[in-house]
Amino acid sequence: MLKNYPSSSFYDEMVAESSKVRPHYEKFYRILQKLADDELLEKHETAQLSFLRQGITFTVYHEDGGTERTMPFDFIPIIIPAEDWEKIEAGIKQRVKALNYFLEDIYNEKKILKDGVVPRDLIENNQYYYEQQAGGLNLPHRNHIYLAGIDLIRDGNGVYRVLEDNLRNPSGLSYVFQNRFVMRKVFPEFFLEHDIRTLEHQFSHLYQALLNHVPANSLSPDNPTAVLLTPGMYNSAYYDHVFLAQQMGIEMVEGQDLLVKNDIVYMKTMRGLQRVDIIYRRIDDDFLDPEEFRDDSALGVPGLMEACRKDNAVVVNGVGNGVADDKAVYAYVPEMIRYYLGEDPLIPNVDTYFLSDKASREDVLSRLEELVVKNVGASGGYDMLIGPQSTSEQIEIFKEKILENPAQYIAQPTIQLSRAPAFQQERFYPCHVDLRVFAVGCDHIHVLPGGLSRVALKEGSLVVNSSQGGGGKDTWVLREGAENNA
Amino acid sequence: MLSRVASNLFWIARNVERAESSARVLKTRLINALETSEAGPLAEGDWEMILDICAVSSEYYDIHPVCEAEKIARYICFDRTNINSIINCMENARNNARSVREVIPEDLWEILNEHHLSMQNENVDTWSMQRIHEYLRDIQKLSFSLQGVIEASMLREEAYNFIKVGKWMERGEKTARVLNVVSEKTKELKLQTETDHYYYWLSALQFLNGYDAYLKRFPPKMEPAQVISFLISYEQFPRSIEYCMEHVRETVMKLESGQVSHYSEELFDAMDHVTQEFMKIKFRKLGMDEIGPFLDKFQNDCNRISSIFARTYYFV
Repeated sequence: MLKNYPSSSFYDEMVAESSKVRPHYEKFYRILQKLADDELLEKHETAQLSFLRQGITFTVYHEDGGTERTMPFDFIPIIIPAEDWEKIEAGIKQRVKALNYFLEDIYNEKKILKDGVVPRDLIENNQYYYEQQAGGLNLPHRNHIYLAGIDLIRDGNGVYRVLEDNLRNPSGLSYVFQNRFVMRKVFPEFFLEHDIRTLEHQFSHLYQALLNHVPANSLSPDNPTAVLLTPGMYNSAYYDHVFLAQQMGIEMVEGQDLLVKNDIVYMKTMRGLQRVDIIYRRIDDDFLDPEEFRDDSALGVPGLMEACRKDNAVVVNGVGNGVADDKAVYAYVPEMIRYYLGEDPLIPNVDTYFLSDKASREDVLSRLEELVVKNVGASGGYDMLIGPQSTSEQIEIFKEKILENPAQYIAQPTIQLSRAPAFQQERFYPCHVDLRVFAVGCDHIHVLPGGLSRVALKEGSLVVNSSQGGGGKDTWVLREGAENNA
Repeated sequence: MLSRVASNLFWIARNVERAESSARVLKTRLINALETSEAGPLAEGDWEMILDICAVSSEYYDIHPVCEAEKIARYICFDRTNINSIINCMENARNNARSVREVIPEDLWEILNEHHLSMQNENVDTWSMQRIHEYLRDIQKLSFSLQGVIEASMLREEAYNFIKVGKWMERGEKTARVLNVVSEKTKELKLQTETDHYYYWLSALQFLNGYDAYLKRFPPKMEPAQVISFLISYEQFPRSIEYCMEHVRETVMKLESGQVSHYSEELFDAMDHVTQEFMKIKFRKLGMDEIGPFLDKFQNDCNRISSIFARTYYFV
């Protein structure tokens, strides 16, 4: 199977130098070799169909409207040994904790700005900083981050680094579960011999953490009513919303289903109005409440923010979290960890250059062909330049964009995304992967074992986003001592 | 339950039921047209009747100058501008289901979604009439499967009851519609030819899937008055207006745990009113002249119940 598998300078999750399979993949490889080619193809197709039939899709937008697509699934899992996972877990907890302190700080005392650790400009002029709306809120457990998705990559030496923090509405959790579900169904033979951390009971963590965000004035603090607020079925992550609401057993509502009366939030039921305490919203800040954000929003709920201010309702994830997962603020997260926790970061960042700084800008502009440039306000792989894979015209266009608006862009060394074999079009070839790890928090932080491994299925591509042809893989965290039995 | 959810459940059932009945009416007409192989004004009028039952004929004439079997079939099946085309009903049902996925059985969603996916890759403009026949049969089967899933796997609670109300309301209204169109038609013809048009009453039974059932109960003679009373108030026939309205009432009763409250009073009053009207006509033979006004009034009453129902449960 790995006969013609090319090696390169990238770290490979499964294959070490000289085409030798890494120890924690040995058992998997042994079982895989027993499967005939046509069997593999058939299983591969069964898996893809299973996603389509269940309508586990996301919506891609283009000029003619939206198309529902499934995320391609690749059956070669990302396997993480127990001791590696332990480090990741600790590093994620540390990072999310510091980010939460940061959010609480900048929406209240702003100590970190006064102490000059993070430039005041960067925060106060940030388009996602909503001081007016979110400043001084009395949040339960002072928690701003209910669900975080932290994207990790591995550099050429196999060292995990944080590529991006997602503290607003990280999507993809449903895929973590569905990838495992489909994998178990289609490849039961792998699971008999591997001792993998299970994903069962994860929803009790999610549910409990959500219910812990009880507003101070709730009438039923022991049994609060929580809902998931979705923008509706045309949203690209709609399946994620359906799945989460279903698994947690909470009502899924749209903006039109909620109503604020005397600063209390109600949902419109067939029996009249019913009071709501906790709103897990999957709507962006801008559309949340037309009275305080965009007034043309038809998705939101007028008066919602005032209800929160009066402690009659709680919105999670916190309003204004975008200021902490911004691509420019990202560079300061290691400093935040030192500042708030007095610890060194357990998982390092990818080096980041600010283009508003003249010296870095000149340096970056002189070697754009070897760097990655990102718009600090964009996500989903849009408005970004991958130097080594771009034409000279594309580079010229970006040069102009940067000069026009330097503060809007950052640059990073071409990221050394690790690779793993993928089976597509009836053959194995190496594809770049990253890993979105989910952390759920309220009074303490819980990290879900594994996460969503995203894979850039286009050969050589570094963009793993599902909107740009990326796929998903199951992620296995081995139990302690499990690989000794390999 | 959220009002929006209740409303979507109600509409899943109505849309599927509507698609199924259009499929049956069109299929029946296509077969009958083959058997009689007639042409000329008579056939044209018969096709117009189909348009009146499944769509709005004036809207059809906005696009097509003449009544033509194939054009009408395509209009009823696939025309996106026809809000009641089968393809639109199925698409609406899927969207209704998609927005309440968390409360319906997985199988219900998957069947609707599979149908949607299978239609996505089809270019229906190239379909032969033979292929359209198959499609109509598939739609009927799809509806049967969906009803099977609902009956076999849903808890008998609110969600189930809203689905059932939607189905019975759509059915009752459709039966009234068929009767209305057919009795208009025969009245017209009677003025011209002075005969009872037995053939149309037979079609009415076929449109409503009641031909076999009717023959089991009554001698094989199409007595218009008997067909009419069968379709209106034969309590054993599951598409008779009485049967449907009785089930709407029973289901609303379940939703309300057997009690009439201040907010549901208007709804119960409206249903009582329809029942009384029934009782009035049930035990006496309606003259042909009375049928038209009765059915008109009944259709209005149904629309009224439907809108009061929506208001009672805060559908938007």
